[in-house]
Amino acid sequence: MIPEIGHIILISHLVLSFMGGILPLAAIYSKNDFLSIPTKKLSVFLFFLILVPFLVLIYSFLIDDFSVAYVSQNSNINLPNYYKLAATWGAHEGSLLLWILAMNGWLIAYMFFNNSKDKDYISTVFSISCQVIFAFSLFTLFTSNPFERILPIPPLSGADLNPSLQDIAFTVHPPLLYFGYSGLMIPFAISVAAMLFSKDTKEWASNSRPWTLMSCSFLTLGIALGSWWAYYELGWGGWWFWDPVENAAFIPWLLSVALFHSLIASENRGVYGKWSILLSIFAFATSLLGTFLVRSGILTSVHAFALDPERGLFILGILAFFIIGSLFIYSIKDFENETTPSYELTSKEFGFLLNNLLLVVLAVSILFGTIFPLIYEAITDGKQISVGAPYFEVILFPFALALGLLQGFALYLSWGTSSSFKFLPRLLIESVSIFVLILIILFILFDNLHLTSFATIFLSSWILMGTLQINKNKNLNYWRFLRKRAAVTFAHSGMAILTLGVAVVSSYSIEKEIILAPDDSVEFGNQTILFKNTEDIMGPNYFSKSATMSFSDGSNISDVLTEKRTYSPSGQLTTEAGIKTEIFQDLYISMGDNLEADIWSFKVQIKPFIRWIWLGALMIAIGSLLAGIKRVRKT
Amino acid sequence: MKKVIDIFPLAIFVVLLIVLFSFLSEKDDQLETALVDSDFPDFSLSALSNDNKTLTKGDISKLPALINVWATWCIACRVEHPFLMQLKNESVLTIYGLNYKDNRTKALSLLERDGDPYEFSIYDFEGRLAIDLGVYGAPETFFVDKNGVIRERHVGVVDETVWEKKFAKYLNE
Repeated sequence: MIPEIGHIILISHLVLSFMGGILPLAAIYSKNDFLSIPTKKLSVFLFFLILVPFLVLIYSFLIDDFSVAYVSQNSNINLPNYYKLAATWGAHEGSLLLWILAMNGWLIAYMFFNNSKDKDYISTVFSISCQVIFAFSLFTLFTSNPFERILPIPPLSGADLNPSLQDIAFTVHPPLLYFGYSGLMIPFAISVAAMLFSKDTKEWASNSRPWTLMSCSFLTLGIALGSWWAYYELGWGGWWFWDPVENAAFIPWLLSVALFHSLIASENRGVYGKWSILLSIFAFATSLLGTFLVRSGILTSVHAFALDPERGLFILGILAFFIIGSLFIYSIKDFENETTPSYELTSKEFGFLLNNLLLVVLAVSILFGTIFPLIYEAITDGKQISVGAPYFEVILFPFALALGLLQGFALYLSWGTSSSFKFLPRLLIESVSIFVLILIILFILFDNLHLTSFATIFLSSWILMGTLQINKNKNLNYWRFLRKRAAVTFAHSGMAILTLGVAVVSSYSIEKEIILAPDDSVEFGNQTILFKNTEDIMGPNYFSKSATMSFSDGSNISDVLTEKRTYSPSGQLTTEAGIKTEIFQDLYISMGDNLEADIWSFKVQIKPFIRWIWLGALMIAIGSLLAGIKRVRKT
Repeated sequence: MKKVIDIFPLAIFVVLLIVLFSFLSEKDDQLETALVDSDFPDFSLSALSNDNKTLTKGDISKLPALINVWATWCIACRVEHPFLMQLKNESVLTIYGLNYKDNRTKALSLLERDGDPYEFSIYDFEGRLAIDLGVYGAPETFFVDKNGVIRERHVGVVDETVWEKKFAKYLNE
């Protein structure tokens, strides 16, 4: 009975979001007040109409209602309760509910905290958002109904949640990512409304900026958590795989970063209005495109969702409707009356232009690399190739280099006029000294210098000094600094730290396959690794063979546990890596095969500075969130 | 002149959309045709009921037949199980089971409890034959005609409708 209530409420959500998508527009264009509806209240109401089905689904998981097909496919009696909660969004149907919930959340936030006084314009943003929400609601009900029942004889237990998803990071990674994806709906709706109302560039850019920043912040967090999860859960010790699904999140991230930078120029100087509109549309389009690639089954990856061509077709339909629609408005709109202020070649405006060009071309190259295997397969009649990490790394490097160099001095540029480059010699000297300092530290820590990462390490010091020195230049006291520059300082320093992490981990990492019997030990780097013993462990829904390993560098000894788990309902194997985290490095060991009797193979790795990658990403996320919230509050 | 440039983004996007759409239909066909009209692949695996008995392609002798991929962890397999029993009881055609990545004891006790629609089941713990067949997961069903050629493939639950629509026509050839 309760799942049916969820189902019915979901249907009413569909109907109401349809009305929300039509009525406000009809009221504006027919100038008929009879049709106008209270949009603020409706946004709250809609939110509850999706919250209830979502809670119902959670409830069905918690009480083990296996007559609900979705529950029986993704849960199991023995699954611990917090994973039952996570299983709610662990597969296609439930994650769509979460997605719609997130979109409704953004819409409420926008309706209550936007800085525009133009009622018709806000109603239009509301209406367009409702149309997007309606499309997703329709998609859910018609192709992916989470409340479908297995009747008359429900199974006694379920097939279990995919074991590699049974993990703490995974319980929060998808919600954050979906918040990021769905948040891009707001800038999209704003850009369409701005075109319909011929809004002044400065005005709509200031309206859109906080929402773009916050979506970008959630995307950053979601991607970073996903990378962290892959690092310790997949047991390979890698942190980025250029997997199509990772790319599908990375592309909208790049575009949203480009967008909020170009919006700064639009808001302050009224330039790049058309460009910002296009970026808003394409950032949203790529977040939908990501969904399409993952859930239509045309790309295979570790993120396996149920494959269904019909779903792919539906998402393609949504994509076509909204993006063709908005680009059509763009193509017929008369932008002629816009006057673009002029600016010099070395001005801040030009800096933003360069930043945007680099980010967008990079995003397009990654998109191309992601779908190229499909094109190749189509034109060669079925031959399959995979464009892997080498392609993406070759592409990424020059762009990252150019972006980093630009980032170092971008903050010193001035609006409109030619900038003075008097700061350059000092900045150069400072970043070179930091660079040398980092190299000395690395040498002390690892007894080694790897030439390959010199350029990247220099880049990191250059960004860091460029970011920190500008604050000194501006002579801000502590409180004024917090108010005015904390967000950008945080985010840009985060970028420097992330770059340093990537540089060091990619050249200083070492790994080795070892074969050990109990009580044997082996030297690796500056560590002695001892295989103490194996143990059998019974978890709530798995059986595990675990090995206790001890790392010793002469003075410190520490034990870590690595496991091979067999999850009982599905029989799937997972490897739990044993990780010892220090400030400057991770010691990473994962259990391989049982060769004979007690002899096991292990893969052991030392990953210096790997935590710094996620620390940097966290700082970027916090910085952009702060910047977004600050601008919401400014209203 | 300015107008023409404004149509560019739309044009580029439409091209992208067409490319994506063509992938979709491409993929759709591929699923259907991958092994259709080719011989059933060779294999050498043990029988579910007896670890020491090796089964090969030659053992699939009562043709035409259905090859049904199943497992105890697969809930949808239990949904289609009664229909497979019905096919067996009405002697419509032989069904061979391919027990996929499963626990032998559990699988046998399930067949004992719910009935065994299969002539025999091949025990494919590592999914070797399943890989050759291009199996996506369980349940999945193949129709092998009297010459040992795979004629049709269905991913998902086989029921009355699927049987009528996809398989029945091959039976009377």
